[in-house]
Amino acid sequence: MENMANKVARIPNLVDWSTGEVRLMSAKCASCGTYFFPKEHYQHRPGCSREGVEDVLLPQKGKLASYTIQYYPCPAPFKTEKKITPYGIGLVEFEGEKIQITGIITDTDLKSLKIGMEMETTLLDMYTNKEKQQVVTWAFTAVK
Amino acid sequence: MKSFYDAIVNLKGMMTMRDVYIIGTGIHPWMGFSEQVFADFAAVAVDNALKDASIEWKKIEAIMAGIFIYGGNAGHLSGQYLESIFGETGIPVVNVYNACATGSASIRMAYNSIAAGETETTLAFGADVSPKGFLTAKSDNAVQDRDVIRWKMGGLPNPIYWALECRKRMEKYGTTEEDLALVKVLMSEYGSKNPHARFKKTYSIEEVLKSVYVCDPLRLYEICPVSTGGAAVILTADEELIAKADNPVKINATTMGSAIYGDPTIRISALSCPSVPEAPMLSESYSASRQAYEKSGIGPEDIDVLELPDNSSWHYLVYLETCGFCGEGEADKMLRDGETKIGAKLAVNPSGGFSSHGEALSAQALWQVIECANQLRGRCGERQVEGAKVAMAQTYGLMGNSGTTIMTI
Ligand SMILES: [Zn+2]
Repeated sequence: MENMANKVARIPNLVDWSTGEVRLMSAKCASCGTYFFPKEHYQHRPGCSREGVEDVLLPQKGKLASYTIQYYPCPAPFKTEKKITPYGIGLVEFEGEKIQITGIITDTDLKSLKIGMEMETTLLDMYTNKEKQQVVTWAFTAVK
Repeated sequence: MKSFYDAIVNLKGMMTMRDVYIIGTGIHPWMGFSEQVFADFAAVAVDNALKDASIEWKKIEAIMAGIFIYGGNAGHLSGQYLESIFGETGIPVVNVYNACATGSASIRMAYNSIAAGETETTLAFGADVSPKGFLTAKSDNAVQDRDVIRWKMGGLPNPIYWALECRKRMEKYGTTEEDLALVKVLMSEYGSKNPHARFKKTYSIEEVLKSVYVCDPLRLYEICPVSTGGAAVILTADEELIAKADNPVKINATTMGSAIYGDPTIRISALSCPSVPEAPMLSESYSASRQAYEKSGIGPEDIDVLELPDNSSWHYLVYLETCGFCGEGEADKMLRDGETKIGAKLAVNPSGGFSSHGEALSAQALWQVIECANQLRGRCGERQVEGAKVAMAQTYGLMGNSGTTIMTI
């Protein structure tokens, strides 16, 4: 991905691309084994000691567990410079982590979407901010 | 120690011994956006409930008010605003918010206050004015309120959550687009016969299938919009008031549930869900309904009328399963075979459902209870379920909120 350095997430602590690969920022509870996303969205097993919650990056790839195509623009505060509607939304499963995560589907023929297909985490350009940085959100794209 | 323990047991015994009845209900009909303030809608509903119960305002000993979340200070203290309209009497006024299950919370508190012997006659009410335009994030702090993330970065209006679950259902159980359309056909038929409904036009399967997708596979006519409306219920254990009421309705149980760890549902406002289920889907509603069955000794097989939260056609199907009216994946067949129609053993949403009304957040759970009570009181005219004796109102609120009320006559 070009110009990664000039990109900034609209809200921090959700998606990381510092390693060169785009990956979602999760946290794992060492006590009950649950993964959280966003990482502050704690959902401990009842009775868990809640000790040992550590930040982890999710794998870059997962499987499409469900999807929809949204035909109307998402209202503000959502914003993108380019028109993206209709856009796909996927629920991507990270099997080892036992978690499914929602994300906009980008660079993918929406007619080709199928439950079970392999998806990878990527970035979606939203708009340019005052500092001339490209503001981004996480997204999923079909593995080519 | 023994006497303390006995006292607790006795108290519990007393709570289940004291019967609580609905003696008055009132509605302000459902409609679209209005310039009127929410308290006006609430006042109409409460006035109608007082008239129905044939009691004067001074008989009300407590108010359990549903919060109107978009109404600022007035909406957050809706009970105080309502009380001042009818005349302040110094009684307890509690304001409560549980998203779309707000009405369930208010009626449950009213019931418990009476059952515990704290009050004899208590009012539960809620009223909502549909905001102009879209409902989105209510704060700007993404760490504190992850709703901000779903709106700013997720691109996730509410119906997307339902569409994601609906697609899973179609893949798993073979639910068809015709099944989804059939729900609207039935709901529109009943809604057309309900004077309180906002949408009164009837639709054929073809017309529903021609409506545009909002989020594939859900179409425009298969999801419910946001509405304006008000609802009020008066409960009592006062024997004199019960004796003079027109067909008082007994509340056998009114319960609330929250979500259970491992529920695989992708909940509105969340960005993730577990992929390996360790609890039922919509576990908050599973929990609320099972509590109600246990407390009342009444089960799905005993129920004549069910009002369930058909926010979308998917909800109509899945709620039949969540609440135990059929097994997992069997609701489509029930629908296709006509087993959910007025005239069948179980009548589902004879009101026309949310599909014909739209959501009025703090009022809708009470409105569902009122429809059930009206059916039991034989007041439903063309949409009357003949001989209805047992009814159940089931709600669904975002982020793990739900309530169930079972009533008999
Ligand atoms: Zn834990």
